[in-house]
Amino acid sequence: MDSALIPEGVKRCPLKWFAVWIGILNVPLMVGVVGALLCWGLALNQTNMNNNYPFALWIAADLGVIALGAGAFFTGFLRYIVKIDELNNIVNFTVVIGVICYAAALGILAIDIGQPLRGWFIFWHANVHSMLTEVAFCISCYFMVLCIEYVPLILENRQIDKFRFPHAFSHRLHEMMPAIAAVGVFLSFFHQGSLGGVPGVLYGRPFAYREGFLVWPWTFFLFILSAIACGPCFTILITKITEKFARKQLVKRNVIDILARISGWLLAGYLVLKILDTVYWVSSTAANVGAPAGSFYANEPFGVWVLITEVGILGVIPAIILLTKRARENQPLLMLACLLNCTGIFMNRWIMTVQSLAVPVMPFDKFFSYHPNWVEWATTLMPLWAGAIVISLSYRYLPIFPQEKELNPL
Amino acid sequence: MKEEHQKGHGKTYKYGMVVDLDKCTGCGACMVACMAENNISFRKDDTNKLVSNFWMRVYKISNGLPFPDADISYIPRPCMHCEGHGHHHATPCVSVCPACATDYDHETGIVSQVYTRCFGCRYCMAACPYHARVFNWWDPRWPEGMEKYLSPDVSPRMRGVVEKCSFCFHRLQRARNKAYAEKRREIGEDEYQTACTEACPGGAITFGDLDNPEHKVCKLKDAPGTFRLLEKLGTNPKVYYTTTRDWVQKAADVYVGNEGNGVTPA
Amino acid sequence: MKMDRRSFIIFSLGAGAGITFSPLPWKLTDDMAIWTQNWPWTPVPPEGVVTHADSVCNLCPGGCGITVRKVGDRVTKIEGREGYQVNNGGICPLGAAGLQLLYGPWRVQSPLRRVGKRGSGQFETISWEDAIDEVVKKLGDLRVKGQASTVACITGLDRGTVPQLFDRFLKAYGSPNFIRTASAGDTYEFALGLMQGATASVGYDLERASFILSFGSGLIEGWGSPVRVIKAHSVWRSGNKKDRATLVQIEPRLSNTAAKADIWYAANPGTEAALALGLAHVIVKGSLYNADFVKNYAFGFEDWNDSKGQNHMGFKSLVLSKYSPEAVSKITGLSAKDIVKLAQDFAKADRPLAVWGRGKGTLPGSLYECMAVHALNALVGNINKPGGVSTRPEVATQAWPEVKQDSTAEVGCSKPRVDGAGSNRYPLTKCLPERWPKEINENGGTIQALLVHEADPFYTTLDSAAVAKAFDRIPFVVSFSSYMDDTAYNADLILPNHQYLERLEDFPTPVGLQKPILGLLQPVVSPQFDTRHVGDVLMTIAKGIGGTVAEAFPWDNYETVLKETMGDKWHTLEKAGYVEADYKPPAWGKAFATPSGKFEFCATAFDKAGMRISKDMDYLPHYQPIQPEGDEATYPLILMPVELIRLADGFIGNPPFCTKTLEATELKGNELFVEVNPKTAADYRLSEGQHAIIETPKGEGKVLVHLSEGIMPGVIGMPKGLGHVGYDDYLAGKGVNVNSLMGVVEDPISGLCATWGIRAKLTSVLS
Repeated sequence: MDSALIPEGVKRCPLKWFAVWIGILNVPLMVGVVGALLCWGLALNQTNMNNNYPFALWIAADLGVIALGAGAFFTGFLRYIVKIDELNNIVNFTVVIGVICYAAALGILAIDIGQPLRGWFIFWHANVHSMLTEVAFCISCYFMVLCIEYVPLILENRQIDKFRFPHAFSHRLHEMMPAIAAVGVFLSFFHQGSLGGVPGVLYGRPFAYREGFLVWPWTFFLFILSAIACGPCFTILITKITEKFARKQLVKRNVIDILARISGWLLAGYLVLKILDTVYWVSSTAANVGAPAGSFYANEPFGVWVLITEVGILGVIPAIILLTKRARENQPLLMLACLLNCTGIFMNRWIMTVQSLAVPVMPFDKFFSYHPNWVEWATTLMPLWAGAIVISLSYRYLPIFPQEKELNPL
Repeated sequence: MKEEHQKGHGKTYKYGMVVDLDKCTGCGACMVACMAENNISFRKDDTNKLVSNFWMRVYKISNGLPFPDADISYIPRPCMHCEGHGHHHATPCVSVCPACATDYDHETGIVSQVYTRCFGCRYCMAACPYHARVFNWWDPRWPEGMEKYLSPDVSPRMRGVVEKCSFCFHRLQRARNKAYAEKRREIGEDEYQTACTEACPGGAITFGDLDNPEHKVCKLKDAPGTFRLLEKLGTNPKVYYTTTRDWVQKAADVYVGNEGNGVTPA
Repeated sequence: MKMDRRSFIIFSLGAGAGITFSPLPWKLTDDMAIWTQNWPWTPVPPEGVVTHADSVCNLCPGGCGITVRKVGDRVTKIEGREGYQVNNGGICPLGAAGLQLLYGPWRVQSPLRRVGKRGSGQFETISWEDAIDEVVKKLGDLRVKGQASTVACITGLDRGTVPQLFDRFLKAYGSPNFIRTASAGDTYEFALGLMQGATASVGYDLERASFILSFGSGLIEGWGSPVRVIKAHSVWRSGNKKDRATLVQIEPRLSNTAAKADIWYAANPGTEAALALGLAHVIVKGSLYNADFVKNYAFGFEDWNDSKGQNHMGFKSLVLSKYSPEAVSKITGLSAKDIVKLAQDFAKADRPLAVWGRGKGTLPGSLYECMAVHALNALVGNINKPGGVSTRPEVATQAWPEVKQDSTAEVGCSKPRVDGAGSNRYPLTKCLPERWPKEINENGGTIQALLVHEADPFYTTLDSAAVAKAFDRIPFVVSFSSYMDDTAYNADLILPNHQYLERLEDFPTPVGLQKPILGLLQPVVSPQFDTRHVGDVLMTIAKGIGGTVAEAFPWDNYETVLKETMGDKWHTLEKAGYVEADYKPPAWGKAFATPSGKFEFCATAFDKAGMRISKDMDYLPHYQPIQPEGDEATYPLILMPVELIRLADGFIGNPPFCTKTLEATELKGNELFVEVNPKTAADYRLSEGQHAIIETPKGEGKVLVHLSEGIMPGVIGMPKGLGHVGYDDYLAGKGVNVNSLMGVVEDPISGLCATWGIRAKLTSVLS
């Protein structure tokens, strides 16, 4: 029925099945919408956040999805600036993922502040010294950039492409893509770093605080590095999942392999710096204010296992897999590495925000644990369902995988 | 124009507090006086202290020893109105607020909070290690008729914004207006006192200009046994504490975990 | 111009760009953001002319001076009055929260008549005329039926013009049953009567004492006049370390006072008298006592002979023979060494002062314990001395004309009191506020009508089940409360008084103060509801009854009463808000109106009152344990009420601000915590935050467990002031009323409630 809209030379499931699939995805999405409406309508008491945990799941997720979305700018950077041409076959898809991630980040923030209409003040009354201002501006601008990058993809839909203006417009945008990508890279470096700065500048919180370079705490750089180390892995992961659902290969192995290898090196580099940072932080920064390392991990569930899991299981192991050719070429192992890497980034963001607040600072502070409630989970998971819908639609109607025809001749 | 005159005529103050923990009996009058003075909201069930609204909070601390060697003390904790210094030249919360909704007034040393500007990102709360900042998780509501006691000097807040102790800034405004009307330039020590200071039945709180040698706080802050909370972090708070009890002085330290330093929550 | 697709798109894009760069979207966004700052449901307090007015707080017997800040006609703040002799600017949390009581939903807004079952809280609004008529008719009928003596009246204080009007009303009406709410003052006044022959309240010169030995008094938990005592505490903590006063607290629990004390001795509860006598032993044995006082101004220290030549044991022999440090150590659990040291430090201090009255002093307590502590003061010779203890009179006011009683009144007043006070058994006791429920329930006592003013007996009287049962047998309960307190909630008729900020009234000298001061409650705000001054209402009732009852109230209104009573002091009172009497405690030679004319260690007043005392020891302060009710096998633990300054436990319900300040380990949701030592908790498999059932011989309740190293093993501490049924749900239904678990243990001599605890058991439950 919608065959006219489907790109030429590829096969898609019947519209009926597609509609059912989209319908299923809408169910959890609507639960999330209910959660969001509760937060806006009845205020943030609907969550398990409190004055001890003003930052909670949402902020952690926010930082997490932005890090995962780094695949977009970084692949763009590799494709248009470093000029690794093979990546042309996946760069479109990274844009789609990027749009989803950044839209998710903005959406979650809009719920998190409880009164999104007032979020305007962050722009209108901007405090240039605040990391969050930097984040807000960069994310918003970069989201616009991503949209501009996404527009030509939409215009490439078979029916739209028939018209002269969209066709020409799309063509123009394509030509401008290196420039746009460069802007994106610049913005992204800054906001990924600023997000690292968010916890890093909190000198009232010895767990989060890091010394640094000029106005940027070390976390600024660690966040950039960890984001570009995991972004490609997330791209691989989503591509593989999409392939699973599409029941066909969409991207050639060599393309994936390039991303995996780059990811591996970056992750390894990140881990070295992260370990150095941890050692310096524990032995110097925190020690100087009288906070022993043990104090940070004294209260479960925020025990030492957190550090071991984050750096070891979710860092070192995927790095080894990604850097070992044979392991990397083993698809299940590669998937595992990507999964561990992405989980690691989420965990890192969670630690840097939530654990930073969980650790008591005054000796007479009582430790309280925090567990997100259903409203927080439902809203946080919304990007998953919305993202699946966007990817499904994009995959069905837009030519986002240039190698699909070649890999799956009709 | 009026605003210009209301400002301190160029003279700067550094308002701060010295709390004598030996005199503090934990009666809570400061908390109640603060709530009444500043139109602080309350709820039917305010027992979850993690979501209830205190500007002034009296912490109960313990020496962690078994009966009968156990001991407790109270630590009243308003906003510390941190100045920051050295590498951390700015107040922890002020530097992070993305919307300039909180500011350090160099003329008075008071950290302000603009409720109508705050959009509720709560970054300042994350930045503050003293839990001095609270968020309006609910719409503040008063039982019918009770809004009658609300003071017009402090605007009631709305849901979704962060609030905190202002050192009763409106009282300073009042004192400034009075001084201006009387064509005076300086604000006297007695003219500007916070609600908690006035209420404290034990006179445990002393408030004034930390830089003015004629104000009581100036001398008290340098007395032996005086400390500030989390001084090592470099927040440079303007609230000082004094006690003769050694274990209570350990409350100044940064949390050290389970091994403890002789101070625990009670 | 022909609009083709291309030009349409270009036009649209151009328009989009144009709008984006115009101020329109930005201004709209900004407006939208600003709109969120003005939610219509966020109140905007109206501006107005700012004024200040002085008055006196009557929320507890502390009587602090207050200054209210008004904006227009609204009270927006209550502050301590600067320069007021009692509190000089300071205020307690309850006083500061007074505006919530003024404007809260718990106010009784007009006269109410019960329509539902009693205690169902269903009332109908009636007019003042109907309400007063109903009381007049009921009381008139009882009087005609010769049942005048079955009317009882409970008031919070018995001093001051309004309680005196009630007293006068009963006198004219014909009932002896004027009952004052229980307090430690009951026992102390009794003891002062015996030992000093005084009819006066006790005054402590706390500010000038240098060594304060407190026998369980919650000095900074709301004891006496709370702000004044906290101020005194600050005086003790001022100056150089060596100039500072020493505070020693005897208490089984680490209360705030114990924590603030220089030394805290956790003596076994209920053994305070033994400790006091043990200290006396050391002081006597070491001749550390004030020889001048003991020799020249005291009686009964040495053994003595009565008029019949019979030899009697004196205080000295008693303490030397029975209360050696070793013996006392066994009773109290303190080491003999500590006892000796404490006694020596106390006696050698410049101005030692022993203070009595457990907790906030809301329960009368044991007479001999009080006497034992007072004897310590006598030993060190601090009676009527700076930094000591004295008897303190009231500010003298104009006496009212004698009540002319008709025969009904004479007959009624000569009947025995319903609580048994003044009977052969308790000849020296004025009233037994904790005893009347028992008389009604068990001994056939009758109250046909009960008038309650500034008291909440339904809530504060121990053994709530018995109180409720007694209430059931009172056919007519009238409350004059401004608030829907528990008694009002269970009353048949409520005739609401103006709230304390709305009315004129005198306030007698605050509890424990050493100098007389009379304060004035002023109407600082106009009445918010359809309420009337209780003085006026009472006089209207009297006039309605007519005859000599009406004649007893020759005044037009309460204001006249007050002005006449104050006489020449009225002018000062009205202007300054208080009058002070120039009072100096009399010298020892003139201080004692006992049979011997001296301070009596040995209370011969018993003989004078015709009380049969069999043993010599019973004339003397001695340790006579007040056993908590319940058998140890069933109830292995001991429950003691914990009084907190942040939790009002008298006739005023805790306002929301104060409830908010309760610790997270005191109240959680609607459940309160009992405090238990971890050792005890281990014995009964209880853990922090767990639910448990607390059971005593008097009742049971569901509570949460809080483990604390600050409480003696075997003792359960339970906050007092929760478990209300009245007030709004800002207070009602929160926690359990500890009074409902407690019983009345009577002092064998005074008949006053000597309860300090009760046996209890604590059983863990799953949820």
